[in-house]
Amino acid sequence: MYGSASTHDLPTTATTGLENEDPILLAEFEARIARGEKIEPGDWMPALYRKQLTRMIEQHAHSEIIGSLPEGTWITRAPGFRRKMAQMAKVQDEVGHAQLLYSAAETLGKTREQMLIDLINGKSKYSNVFNYPTPTWADSNVISWLIDAGAIVNQLANAKGSYGPYCRALDRICAEEAFHLKYGHDAVVHMATGTPIQRAMMQAALNRWWPAIMTFFGPSDKMSVHTEILMRWKVKMASNDECRNQFLDMYVPKIWEIGLTLPDEKLAKNEETGRWEFTEPDWEDFKRVINGDGPCNAERIAVRRAAEENGAWVRRALLTPKTQYVRPLA
Amino acid sequence: MDPKLDLLYRLADDQLILGHRNSEWNGLGPILEEDIAFSSMAQDKLGHSLQLYNLLHNLGEAEPDTVAFTRNAPQFHCCQLVELPIGEYDFSLTRHFLFDHAELLRFEALATSSYEPLAQVARKLRGELKYHALHANTWMKRLGTATEEAIERMQGALNFTLPYALGIFETTEAEPEIISSGLFIGEAELKSRWLESITKILAQTALDMPDLNLLTPVNGGRYGQHTEHLQPLLDEMAEVFRLDPTADW
Amino acid sequence: MIQSFDPRMNRLGLPDAPVTAATKTALDQFGTYEVFHQKKDGAPYVYVGPVHAPEADVAFLFAKEQFSRRFACTGMWVVPTAAITVTDYVGDQESAYDFLPLLPKSVAPAPGNADDTAGEAAAYAAGEEDYDIFHLKKRGKAHQHVGKVRASSPAAALQVAKAVFGEQRPVVNVWTTRSADVLRSDEEDRDIWSTTPEKKYRDAISYKVQDRIEKFKAENK
Repeated sequence: MYGSASTHDLPTTATTGLENEDPILLAEFEARIARGEKIEPGDWMPALYRKQLTRMIEQHAHSEIIGSLPEGTWITRAPGFRRKMAQMAKVQDEVGHAQLLYSAAETLGKTREQMLIDLINGKSKYSNVFNYPTPTWADSNVISWLIDAGAIVNQLANAKGSYGPYCRALDRICAEEAFHLKYGHDAVVHMATGTPIQRAMMQAALNRWWPAIMTFFGPSDKMSVHTEILMRWKVKMASNDECRNQFLDMYVPKIWEIGLTLPDEKLAKNEETGRWEFTEPDWEDFKRVINGDGPCNAERIAVRRAAEENGAWVRRALLTPKTQYVRPLA
Repeated sequence: MDPKLDLLYRLADDQLILGHRNSEWNGLGPILEEDIAFSSMAQDKLGHSLQLYNLLHNLGEAEPDTVAFTRNAPQFHCCQLVELPIGEYDFSLTRHFLFDHAELLRFEALATSSYEPLAQVARKLRGELKYHALHANTWMKRLGTATEEAIERMQGALNFTLPYALGIFETTEAEPEIISSGLFIGEAELKSRWLESITKILAQTALDMPDLNLLTPVNGGRYGQHTEHLQPLLDEMAEVFRLDPTADW
Repeated sequence: MIQSFDPRMNRLGLPDAPVTAATKTALDQFGTYEVFHQKKDGAPYVYVGPVHAPEADVAFLFAKEQFSRRFACTGMWVVPTAAITVTDYVGDQESAYDFLPLLPKSVAPAPGNADDTAGEAAAYAAGEEDYDIFHLKKRGKAHQHVGKVRASSPAAALQVAKAVFGEQRPVVNVWTTRSADVLRSDEEDRDIWSTTPEKKYRDAISYKVQDRIEKFKAENK
């Protein structure tokens, strides 16, 4: 479901390490990307490219598996057959997307088991919005619609990136998510145009989630040496502000047309610049939550850890020494 | 009760409750890929129950959502096997194995039911149920021949679950008419086919089949007698729905 | 215990503070299988991605739901990753076959092996086997099955494939595997996919709310 910009931690070291790379191979690599060709796992690639992509795809995978939990919260309580089955399918898709993305990251050399260990030991980041709870069914609907919408903006951009396995995974994910977005919109519309109880539930959920949604794409990008290189290498595809503006353009009118309001008096589109203006999100709070101090960080990790621990006997039972792990091909 | 309604309610309630239970694994499975497969089968079960509630609706019963989300435990006709909490994966897999074998054989028989709408549903679901049985058999064979730890767990789960599984075949007063009217072959015949089918798979494992003659089937579910787990499950399932039963969710 | 909004999690009884750091043994990682999918009769099998699994039969169970639950499917193959031989990747305008190591003339295979019925029995008796060949036509796209060849090793299979399929261009990358290493879904089991198109609740087109929105707008002018 969830793009990568929301975790956005570029390396803080001044050095890119590029001075240690073979200049001829590096030039060929860059020329290939400039020609619009994708990089495939068998190709030579600079260490920085491998490292950044691994981190980005891994975080994206974690965001899917953790991102399945806030909606999973309502899987046993979805009202009526139609919602119940769709909620199950959607949560299932998020797990499936994690599988696809872990596989893409594995082609770069890090095993899935190692990524999962890093996740449950708190060493890896995932999209920060999932550290917030879904206290009502309406909160789950807000995620299904608007967080998925944000993610699609992000993923469509990333699907034009340079790494073949990531592009293939994203193509599949975007195709599957067409359903998520419609389902989420459908559920929100039913609530917003429904009975007074439903409407109040939906407005309250939207008020709770809006600040987190505004942080979904991350703070404004600071142009660093790294950002410039990662954009040239088509690892980072669009600026956070660009994605956020596109999202607001597409979805604020759809929120307003069903009579819902957004808890930001400043929110308005400047028709001259084509840019949306809004109250700057609380980035200090964002930082605090991403660093572990959010309402659900401990629970999210504990759930993943419990799943791993409770399933360990199954995996132990099935391991056969004769099947040696080799990284997937593509 | 009319034999058609009697049969349909038992089938539909079994599928609804087990589908609901199995969906609880979504996101918590032992392997990512298995998480996905198990969720698909839970969705299928929900889908099967919906199709059966639709048949009931065509026979004059209330809408599927009303039937599924507003009744209380004593009005449910499911066997007690399906209501038990998911427990650990050994139990959930064993329940899946025992239930889905019965389900596959049941729908195979229903494909020639004298009640054509049900026969049509049964024929359509054949492929889905085949995958469910393949999934269950593969896991049973793998874990039932794996480590000592796994074999011990699976044997424990089998011993615990079998008495409940025998409750699948509990009959109601409508049974003679269900058989005589050609609606269904009947629970006794189904049970003997089921026994043959699971015995064949278990024979390929290190697991011992307990002597069924020494087990007391856990009955009562078909008459609305349930474990203490069903009502909380129904309350949870309908929590949102009951906030405003008139609402369109 | 962590109190969750999710009743499932409360039933799990999650501890408040993490216990010890999680560790796994090096072996706690299955092998991988590469999955190929056929979307309709007569269409080539196309690579869709890997699954982690202990054995091919489990890999098939997993692949079926991970890669064919959402869209139409008529058949599926799974192959152990380790059983696939991969050529170098070349540019989008090139052919990977042009970069295969040259073989001494004496072992170079005869082209047109496909319909060679006469020599077939003898070749199999001499230890030759069938190999499946997959091409990648463009970087970023997926490998597709192009056919089978008979050969005595993966390297030889690539040489034969060059003779049989080498005219096709571009070919960015070639995969080959012994056909015996491919687990193929049975023709008689294809009904496991028969209801996929009926699962409308997973389809975007089932969710149409425009009428509801218009009605709401009209009523709230």
